[in-house]
Amino acid sequence: MEDYRAPMEHQWSPYSWNGGTILAVAGEDFAVIASDTRLSEGFQIYTRDSPKTYKMSDTAVLGCSGFHGDVLTLIKVIEAQQKIYRHTHQKDLSCESLAQLLATILYSRRFFPYYTYNILAGLDKKGKGCVYSFDPVGSYDREMYRAGGSAAAMLQPLLDNQVALKNQAGVEKEPLTIDKAVSLVTDVFTSAAERDIYTGDGVKISIITASGIDVKEVPLRRD
Amino acid sequence: MSNIFEYNGSAVVAMVGKECVAIAADRRLGMQAQTVTTDFKKIYEMNNKLYVGFYGLATDAQTVSNRLKFQLNLYQLRENRLIKPKAFMHMVSNLLYSRRFGYYFIEPVIAGLDPKTNDPYIATMDLIGCPMETKDFVVAGTCSEQLYGMCESLWKPDLEPDDLFETISQALMNAVDRDAVSGWGAVVQVIEKDQITTRTLKSRMD
Repeated sequence: MEDYRAPMEHQWSPYSWNGGTILAVAGEDFAVIASDTRLSEGFQIYTRDSPKTYKMSDTAVLGCSGFHGDVLTLIKVIEAQQKIYRHTHQKDLSCESLAQLLATILYSRRFFPYYTYNILAGLDKKGKGCVYSFDPVGSYDREMYRAGGSAAAMLQPLLDNQVALKNQAGVEKEPLTIDKAVSLVTDVFTSAAERDIYTGDGVKISIITASGIDVKEVPLRRD
Repeated sequence: MSNIFEYNGSAVVAMVGKECVAIAADRRLGMQAQTVTTDFKKIYEMNNKLYVGFYGLATDAQTVSNRLKFQLNLYQLRENRLIKPKAFMHMVSNLLYSRRFGYYFIEPVIAGLDPKTNDPYIATMDLIGCPMETKDFVVAGTCSEQLYGMCESLWKPDLEPDDLFETISQALMNAVDRDAVSGWGAVVQVIEKDQITTRTLKSRMD
């Protein structure tokens, strides 16, 4: 039986979208960064165990989502640059410097971008929690919290409401504790997994403090 | 002019509580980037226990609400009783499907109580009338993803009317604050069996 369809020109795209959501929150002396662990393309799931957070140093973790090919290459390039820095300066890159380095790397590909949504979380030179968020071509800013990736639009307003206490008049602002941050992150990922097809399977949470990086894994809906 | 649904900008949400429903919408009317008015009505009363809000093109929302009221008035005259929310949902669905190939650029959000039993009811549908009834909440808007995120986290079953008001208000206000074409205030209606409370909220005016 012949396929009676009009001829359609398909333009080959060098990019693909592999899904994934990342989220980071900065506290007074800690930072929390989490990502889901699903890797997909269209309606297919490639694997349920592909976290999108990568440890850069004892004080910084980078979350990257978007096109997995570019994520892997970007991580390779950053790690190579970090190696050079460590050999030259005999110390690790600080979080602020790592952020600027990433912005430079991303902008160097301004006219054929890395299709990645990046969030860097860690402790700054003074030991305070910091979160830097980037666009695919390297525009970046330091913030207290940021959601990125496929379910970013679902998570960001809830963080506005619960972390920055927006639209809540007369509520006492208490400093954010690690436990509160982790339970908030777990809750938002559970909500995102309900409504976003690309988010699910599991969430990997990295808690960065002066004493090191603690990792928690929580399962999510697998549908 | 890429997406006609995003031309005027809007956000509507409805939630079910304990023996009550709530429906809320933002108040902005714009022409793409230009804000035209900040008191635009998006929720229409069909009868004292049935409300419908519209997301999408403002002119179509007004036309459809007028046509719907017209059909509903005839129904009420013929049947001599208030319409059940589920029957009303079918009326809206039929109206939209009658324009299957020349559709209205809107998505309705229906919220009401059954006239006899006072059971809460909420529903939404797509632009050609495919209905979706849920037990928790329904959302429609240029910021629908944001609304889904907020409602999914904040809603819980059997909220009392005052708690339902707080929940739906926070869900709407924080979602529209992350959307450029909706916001500029909000209207929230909480419908209980013997009273309707309408509150106007002041939010970020941008």
